Amino acid sequence: MNGKTVIPFGPQHPVLPEPLQLKLVMQDEKIVEAIPAIGYVHRGLEKLTETKEFTQNVFVIERICGICSFKHALAYCQGMENLMGIEVPDRARFLRVIWGELHRMHSHLLWLGLLADAFGFESLFMQAWRDREKVMDIMEATAGSRVIISTNQIGGTRRDISPEMLAKIVDVVNDVKEDIERVEKVFCNDYTVKHRMVGIGVLSKENAKLWGAVGPMARGSGIAEDVRTLGYAAYGELDLEPVVETDGDCYARMKVRLRELYQSIDLIKQAIAKIPEGPINVPVKGNPNGEVISRVEQPRGEALYYMRANGGKTLDRLRVRTPTFANIPTLLKMLPGHHLADVPILILTIDPCISCTER
Amino acid sequence: MFDMIGNIFKNLGTKPATRCYPFEKREPFEASRGRVKGIEIEKCIFCGICSRKCPADAIRVDRNAKSWEIDPFKCVICGACAEVCPKKCVIMDEAYTQPTTAKDKLTYVQAAKEESQSQAG
Amino acid sequence: MIENVTNIPLESLLGHVQDMLFSGYRFITATSVDNGDGTIDVLYHFDKELEMKHLRITVNKQDEIPSISGIYFGAVLVENEMKELFGLNIKNIVIDYGGHMLLSDEELDAPMSRQITIVNKDKGGEPQ
Ligand code: SF4
Ligand code: SF4
Repeated sequence: MNGKTVIPFGPQHPVLPEPLQLKLVMQDEKIVEAIPAIGYVHRGLEKLTETKEFTQNVFVIERICGICSFKHALAYCQGMENLMGIEVPDRARFLRVIWGELHRMHSHLLWLGLLADAFGFESLFMQAWRDREKVMDIMEATAGSRVIISTNQIGGTRRDISPEMLAKIVDVVNDVKEDIERVEKVFCNDYTVKHRMVGIGVLSKENAKLWGAVGPMARGSGIAEDVRTLGYAAYGELDLEPVVETDGDCYARMKVRLRELYQSIDLIKQAIAKIPEGPINVPVKGNPNGEVISRVEQPRGEALYYMRANGGKTLDRLRVRTPTFANIPTLLKMLPGHHLADVPILILTIDPCISCTER
Repeated sequence: MFDMIGNIFKNLGTKPATRCYPFEKREPFEASRGRVKGIEIEKCIFCGICSRKCPADAIRVDRNAKSWEIDPFKCVICGACAEVCPKKCVIMDEAYTQPTTAKDKLTYVQAAKEESQSQAG
Repeated sequence: MIENVTNIPLESLLGHVQDMLFSGYRFITATSVDNGDGTIDVLYHFDKELEMKHLRITVNKQDEIPSISGIYFGAVLVENEMKELFGLNIKNIVIDYGGHMLLSDEELDAPMSRQITIVNKDKGGEPQ
């Protein structure tokens, strides 16, 4: 029909730090169809892992994502440990929870900042990132790097956290909690924010399931699924309820992430209170053989790892399904019917991570 | 709306969260993995374990020439080399690599004197 | 090692996937693995209340595979990816990029499949 225009959104766009292009077919102000174009940052990491030793792969895997590197390494290490029958020491399992939740906190705070930036609330954006910096500092002080913290290895963790440092982490997360309470008020009650988010991009529970949404996307639509409840690492010994909102709009997804921040703080404190003494890793003997699947809950949702080994030093195949990979089809289905002005917010609420998606 | 104004006034009253970088530098954390500074070449036995374990293939060890070379621009600062070295002679530094204008490699060659000593001994 | 894997013939793939949809499963993703003997394993992963189920088909490289993206729209990206990286002949994908989702014109066909051993070539090229 006439009157249709195609507007390219991205790959360079002020709200998107990463190159995702959407070709939006518009009829007047409404979107009729959205076609994604990805492939701008495909690095072939899955191929690279076939050439490295399976122990070295941890470092490659971590570089899949610049936000949740720890969770990627965790998924890989847990899969390999299952495959090789390695029993991870208790202390390492708790340390994994602590670092894992710190990663979730910094990821969600980063996302909140980006969201504020997307609707032009610059001071809120700065505030969220300012609070995030405290989390980054603990990460660097405990693990040695801000993002790619490289503390996982097959059989445990590479570093330990001293008791003084653990006490300090509790102080810092308490401090961050106060900060979050202050920005939460703005995010939840501010007129501008509500105006841009309430009722936009409604995803029903049935559709979320049909299109395969994961993580905060699914939980914002009332699906109480969180892979952490399977009890990997030390999550089985901690109190954990999936955070669920039922409205399914952008506002609900934001609230899920805000509430998950509190949940992470709570989990960190629980883990620190319960952490046992002992060794932090066990040596790896032999080579893996067979195939295995491992899943973890990343800040953006469930990630699935598939590994096949043949008894040699290198793996036959390592497949990574990252959460954004699952959320993009949902986004495509959600976009039609919305105004062009809502597109940035809608895209941001799936928390896209394109480097993850393309690997 | 007023919630945010409160935050803004609070931030106006406190000191800035950022630093005036080139003039005022942050002390690196003790545990930071800043960079691979180099090695204590006298201790190295040129076993090559570090170069085999390096995920970025940044290290080149030559047993015959008794040289050890690292390409700091390939290195991803994972610390694996320092961890696996049997002589613990790879030195990590907590300060980050400084920007440079040339992509130089760091090369260490063990002095020949050592060689004759070890042959004698 | 993987629990709940059902090996199914290629012809009954769509029927099985349809069954999964009816019994309320969520599609997670698909994985393709090159077996090295000219066949490729394709695993379809499903999830229901955090219970996983997998379907496995083993196909020859030139076999025509029907797309499941008509049933589960979420399979669009992964099917395009398998088509490009492994050279699988997947037909009727809802959004078909025709081999240009990740790769550009100049690049190799099916870089992830076993036939092309980029690694060995590199190593051989190095001065020994
Ligand atoms: S592992 Fe240590 S001793 Fe061996 S070559 Fe490397 S630096 Fe030298
Ligand atoms: S720190 Fe890591 S990347 Fe750098 S030289 Fe050592 S092993 Fe290689």
